[in-house]
Amino acid sequence: MIKAENIIKTYNGGAVEVLKGVSLDIKEGEKIVILGASGSGKSTLLSVLSGLERVDGGKVFYDDKDLSTMTEKELTEFRRNTVGFIFQQYYLLPHLNVENNVKMGADLIGNKDFREIIKAVGLENKLKNKPAELSGGEQQRVCIARALAKNPKILFLDEPTGALDEKTGREVLDYIIKSQGERGFTMVMVTHNLNIAETADTVIKMNSGVITEVYHNASPKTAFEIGW
Amino acid sequence: MIISLKDGLKLFGIIIVAFCAVFVCTFFLNFYMDAVEIKDTVTEAQQPLYDAQLATARFTSAISGGFLGLIAIVMVVFYIKLYVDGHMRQLGILKAMGWSNQKIAFRFWVFGLSIFIGTALGFGAGHIAMPFIYEGLTIDTLDIDIHFHAILLIMLVFVPTIIYSLFACGYAYFALRRPVNDMLKGRVEKKLKRRKEKPAKDSKERSFLVETCFKTLGSKKLLAFFVAFACFCFSAMVQMGASMKQLSTETMGLMILVIGIVLAVTTMFMAVTSLVKNNVKTVSMMKVFGYSMKECALSVFGGYVPFAFLGFVVGTGYQYGLLSLMVNIVYKDVAAVPDYNFNVPVFFITLACFIVLYTAVMAVYAFKLNKVSVKEVMLEN
Repeated sequence: MIKAENIIKTYNGGAVEVLKGVSLDIKEGEKIVILGASGSGKSTLLSVLSGLERVDGGKVFYDDKDLSTMTEKELTEFRRNTVGFIFQQYYLLPHLNVENNVKMGADLIGNKDFREIIKAVGLENKLKNKPAELSGGEQQRVCIARALAKNPKILFLDEPTGALDEKTGREVLDYIIKSQGERGFTMVMVTHNLNIAETADTVIKMNSGVITEVYHNASPKTAFEIGW
Repeated sequence: MIISLKDGLKLFGIIIVAFCAVFVCTFFLNFYMDAVEIKDTVTEAQQPLYDAQLATARFTSAISGGFLGLIAIVMVVFYIKLYVDGHMRQLGILKAMGWSNQKIAFRFWVFGLSIFIGTALGFGAGHIAMPFIYEGLTIDTLDIDIHFHAILLIMLVFVPTIIYSLFACGYAYFALRRPVNDMLKGRVEKKLKRRKEKPAKDSKERSFLVETCFKTLGSKKLLAFFVAFACFCFSAMVQMGASMKQLSTETMGLMILVIGIVLAVTTMFMAVTSLVKNNVKTVSMMKVFGYSMKECALSVFGGYVPFAFLGFVVGTGYQYGLLSLMVNIVYKDVAAVPDYNFNVPVFFITLACFIVLYTAVMAVYAFKLNKVSVKEVMLEN
């Protein structure tokens, strides 16, 4: 589904090389965790795979379509029709309430049943609340609803539980994993938490801009079975 | 120092509005004071024109000076609010460290510096332009010499500077009266004291884009005022400048035209730049989700379009009303004053220019929005 071939990504006019020839292959419906310490290049890899950023070298394919040669308009279409995002910092729109934040994703595909998703994440009583009036866990659940409301084929998650306490983190992770199981989308999650990697089908370990190890979990654990 | 001199000097909008206000007031008030001095030498034949000129000077300086002075106050409020909102955490840290509101607010005096620069430049430019203005106002019928009036320098430069500096400190003091914790967390207290959301009047549900459009407009209502004001200036001054050719001198027409365009461009630039700055995160997140640039621009700028046209319409009415008043009432006893009628061709030409320019400005800023880097926004957090 997604194939990266020898991708290179630099910043500061090439002075800082963040990705140093990364290659990987992600299959449809897979649960992938990209694991690494801060500065290992895992978030940059996520940005590149999801079409948020362009590569400086190498190629990224989505179903044989080369993202690196797509125009800005084509990349927008790709993000619109294919991917969903969940970030550690939430990035909810502060002036909109829960309902309208979720509508941001839902309207892109004309999803009129987005309130069902809000209900599923347990926020049906907070439809009219603004993000500032929600706890961290609630805000992250809005992000999940927002991402799922556009029915993505691939869901990219950047440290989705990084800002949450253990209990809330487990609940959020559990909901994400269950949703993946029910909907069957491909999931690519970035984390520095070794325990979370145990929930994945495939784990890609990164260090200093290169993949150091790839391994598969024969039986991925649930969010409540892992340590924290 | 939390607020540097640079912050005060950055306020181009206020500098230009203050410049225009004092520029206009300087020569009209100077003319008025000089004209009063020759009161006893005016002949009976010159009396109607003399009275009309005095009325024009009083009226124009009061309208322009008063109006632009108010706009400058609104701009000061806007900039201070923008500054406080943009530096909420830093100001919160200062308060947490024990700085009092008064001590922080006092630093906002530098916002009065922009008024000083604008008024001083306006006063100087007013004196440079004065011979041309006197020529236009007297049209060789009255012999009025130009004199320097120190009182005008005090009243138009120093007094406004002091008043605006005090106003800036006072407003900042009130703007800073929020709980330290809210400031540190970047929360706006009044928004937490929630008004209950009104149920939608009709069953039709707003789309995300329409909702964002309304919310963007609602969160920055002052910008709607500035957009309307910019379009008002463009409409009123361009049409008035064109009509001045027949009513006064070409120099006068050109001066009005230039002032109008400068005010319009400055205010629009300030409003749209703030709008873009305030919506960078919203737009970047919309881009992440796959909204097109057109949709992003619509959600940010769309709500302001009616205000732009409203400003244009009011500006048209204003210039027509003002010129009719001058010609039909103030100058009614003066011989050789031409008739004034609404200039239809000028109206349509101005409207066409307005639509083209407004669309071009929005296109340029939409392009700027398109340049927003998602990565940069994320790294900010």
